[in-house]
Amino acid sequence: MLRTSLAAVAALSLSTGLASAQSAWTGGDDLPTSPLACDGAAAAAEAKPYDGGEPTDAPDRTGKPISVVDVPKLIGIGYFDATSKGMSEAAGEMGTIEATTDGPVEAKIDDQITVIDNYITKGVDGILFAANDPVAIAPVLKKALGAGINVVGYDANSEPDARQWFVNQAEFNGIGKAMIEAMVAEIGEDGAFAIVTSTFTTPNQARWISEMEAYAAQCHPEMTWLETVEAQEDNILSFNQANTLINKYGDELQGIFGMTSVATPASADAVTQAGQCGNIAVVGLATPNAMKPYVESDCVKSVVLWNPVDLGYAAAYVLRAAADQTLKPGDTSVEASRLGELQVINGSEILLGDPFIFTKDNIGDFDF
Amino acid sequence: MTGAADPARRARPSALARFVSAYGQEIVIACAIVGLFVVVSAINPRFLGANNLNTIVSGNAYIAVAAIGMSMIIVTGNIDVSVGALIGVLATISGTLAVSGYPVWVAWIAPLFIGAAINGVVGTLVAYGRLPSIVVTLGMLSILRGGLVSFTGGAWINNLPPAFQIAQARWSGIPAPIWFMVILTVAAFLWMRHTAFGRSLYAIGGNAEAARAAGIPVERRIVQVFMIHGTVAGMATMLFATQLRVIQSTVPPNLELTVITASVIGGVSILGGTGTVIGSTLAAVLFAAIGSAMIFVNVSAYWLRAVIGLLILVTVLVDMARRNREFRSAR
Amino acid sequence: MTPRKLFRHETILALFVVVALFVLDRQSDRFFTLDNLFNQGRLMTEVGLIAIAMTFVIVTGGIDLSVGSILGLSAILLGVFWKSLGLPLPAAIGLALVVGTLAGLLNGLIITRFRVPPLIATLGTLALYRGIAEGVSQARSVRGYPDGFYVLGQGEVWGVPTQLWIFGLAAVVAAVVLGYTTWGRATYAVGSNEVAARFSGLGVDGTKIAIYAASGFAAATAAVIFVSRVSTTRSDMGTGIELDAITAVVLGGTSIFGGRGTVVGTLLGLVLIQALKNGLSLAGVKSDGTVVLIGAVLILTILVSNLFHRNANR
Repeated sequence: MLRTSLAAVAALSLSTGLASAQSAWTGGDDLPTSPLACDGAAAAAEAKPYDGGEPTDAPDRTGKPISVVDVPKLIGIGYFDATSKGMSEAAGEMGTIEATTDGPVEAKIDDQITVIDNYITKGVDGILFAANDPVAIAPVLKKALGAGINVVGYDANSEPDARQWFVNQAEFNGIGKAMIEAMVAEIGEDGAFAIVTSTFTTPNQARWISEMEAYAAQCHPEMTWLETVEAQEDNILSFNQANTLINKYGDELQGIFGMTSVATPASADAVTQAGQCGNIAVVGLATPNAMKPYVESDCVKSVVLWNPVDLGYAAAYVLRAAADQTLKPGDTSVEASRLGELQVINGSEILLGDPFIFTKDNIGDFDF
Repeated sequence: MTGAADPARRARPSALARFVSAYGQEIVIACAIVGLFVVVSAINPRFLGANNLNTIVSGNAYIAVAAIGMSMIIVTGNIDVSVGALIGVLATISGTLAVSGYPVWVAWIAPLFIGAAINGVVGTLVAYGRLPSIVVTLGMLSILRGGLVSFTGGAWINNLPPAFQIAQARWSGIPAPIWFMVILTVAAFLWMRHTAFGRSLYAIGGNAEAARAAGIPVERRIVQVFMIHGTVAGMATMLFATQLRVIQSTVPPNLELTVITASVIGGVSILGGTGTVIGSTLAAVLFAAIGSAMIFVNVSAYWLRAVIGLLILVTVLVDMARRNREFRSAR
Repeated sequence: MTPRKLFRHETILALFVVVALFVLDRQSDRFFTLDNLFNQGRLMTEVGLIAIAMTFVIVTGGIDLSVGSILGLSAILLGVFWKSLGLPLPAAIGLALVVGTLAGLLNGLIITRFRVPPLIATLGTLALYRGIAEGVSQARSVRGYPDGFYVLGQGEVWGVPTQLWIFGLAAVVAAVVLGYTTWGRATYAVGSNEVAARFSGLGVDGTKIAIYAASGFAAATAAVIFVSRVSTTRSDMGTGIELDAITAVVLGGTSIFGGRGTVVGTLLGLVLIQALKNGLSLAGVKSDGTVVLIGAVLILTILVSNLFHRNANR
């Protein structure tokens, strides 16, 4: 008994000894970053040759009604509820698209692959997707292309040759810059902050964190990154993690980044309930409805996002254009009705626009 | 017993020894909690701050409450893997009622009845349908999880009225979740140990046929205990749904595993028949404390889950070593 | 259990499967094509391998919740061995299989030497193995395997998907072992009455350790196939697969209390679930509806089967 206990304590100490704060920000990935210039407008994206995939022997769908399935990362999240809404709006306007949203009930790549596979067998004309994993989803998407189905991605990309186009809500480095600038505006050049993210394996969040790190190192080197914590897609866990950060760092913590639409409201709630509004800034990505109480109480000054409804809207239009062949490889822009003309960047990506900042002044205008 | 060859050796163990052996697991966990706090606060004194203690205990009280119901189920030799989905569903119902203009107490109380009803169905299938509880609750898990997404379509519930937020209330300076947790644990413990109903649960878990022969209405008890578990899950929902100003419409990931682990580590034997709710509450607090401690001690976030898994295994092994030793020395 | 009783559940289940296939075929003409059936077989292989091994585990009265984590760990280590350590791919695969088997072996040891109930032991190793996978991988994926590797998960051999050959072989071997060898009879004996089995001189501990090791091996094999199918490794692979496997096994008639069950039943259970997942989707039912229906089917099937077994022990 004593021996077992001693062995247990030794094992525990050894394992906790594996811990030491990383020098790089935890939560980022190791892909190359390209931070924007510290001041001035975003640099114009340079033209790259088209690198998307092509459907094999797609039937001529010009002008014909088509059935499209939207497969987000998971259903049950307000964010994808909003993109789905945008797609219905676009479908309603066009009148020639029948769009259904169907996805896994958990953010698992195997489930998502199964859903897409089923729809390939069923025989849809178009697939819209937001990938749980860019590489893992590629084989099934290529299979879709091989079956003559139009494939367009949004929000979370796949490998370029597995889809025709990808509607990018905002460039990764654009988000990185917007987040850091919003935080600097609130806590100053030498503030200290922590990050609450979903999991370390979510590609988008990992990219954003890497870009934020690169931008901060370049333009605001005095800022201190304290820690990154995981909170899955669970808002109570996000709340508890944010509270733990507040408790651990006390006065040292001046800002919290929320990297998902689940983490940001939960962190804001933690700051509010701890009575630290005004002392700790909360900056993050979130949907306006969830953030309204905090923005209205001045606890949160700005919420960074793009408009997911617009994102879904644009994706639907892009798919229609691809099916009609009005959008072809090599084009530099595409028409998306109320959004105007969207630019093609990085070969086969379509940029929605700059990140949108929700503040007290405009948050009341949105309902998603 | 054979004739005593040496009266001294056969003397009855002292009251303290009996207490320790009866509540061994609870004591181990309590020691683990104290040990953890001592070690971590030596590294970072803020761990002991009132705010942090509040975060650890209040923020996770709903797990402890859910574990109370789960412990009762496990004591009878059954299990429920759908409790996480159930809480998710009840939270959505509760929130929907609150934003639809019903008085807040309706929104609080409704989950208690709905939880009892849903689990009543489960209990009936287990008791009268003679289906293994793991099968029924596996099926129920799917039904609830899918049903929740179908019903809400993925939309979250915003604009909860402030009066709804009972989890944020403080009574006599102590947060409401802690009151819930302590009162329910003590009440459940006393009830299970000192009422015929409660003791019959242990009897059923120990040997259902013997319990039946002793006149205990086994089937009825099983249905009742599942319904009670559903009601307790409803109480956990009150804490879970009112902590934040928005309710997610997805099932909290891994909640059932966490609750089962808390009950099991807390000493409730999966073979049925032993264990107390005090153990499961302490275990839930221990896990919450470990999660927080890992952050305070700067365990690399990538190794967090491995350390927690190791801790669980170690606790289990230490406990089994203790039980095996007791078993051998009791001959 | 006499053969007559054994066949009862499997027959009812087979009937359900036939009915389901018939109904689903009527709903969509794309369901009953060879292409689709092969494809479903491909998607079913990983759960299938794990479920076959899980049959043995549950027949002995145990359970293994850590298979998903072993899958994730093996997948990550495959990537690490190949990329970070630079081993040739076959060696990396072999080593990943070894690690998975060892992980299962550890489960067996904890259960037999320390006498920890299987539910608790595998609950703990579920967290531990998943945690090791996360820690080792540092949340990075490994990608870019040589093309030849993808034949396993995405290619075909003589017109049939590659992994189906492996699955078929595993199913046949398992069915023969469980039904016709002393080893299989020992498994049933341990599940029916462990104390009696021990007194009869059967190597109960050895049997159990071997079965849990086999469960780990199956999970590792599933991991290799999975990585080949999706061409990348992630530390969260296999999350939740244990519940899918247990559902299939239980649906197939294996009693959770041990002592009863067949590989054929498990296969029928797998087919039914996969058919529902695919057929319902083709018929226009969305994922959430499918999830609900599968839950309902599970409960109904066992309920109906139990009604025919009124006098069967629980």
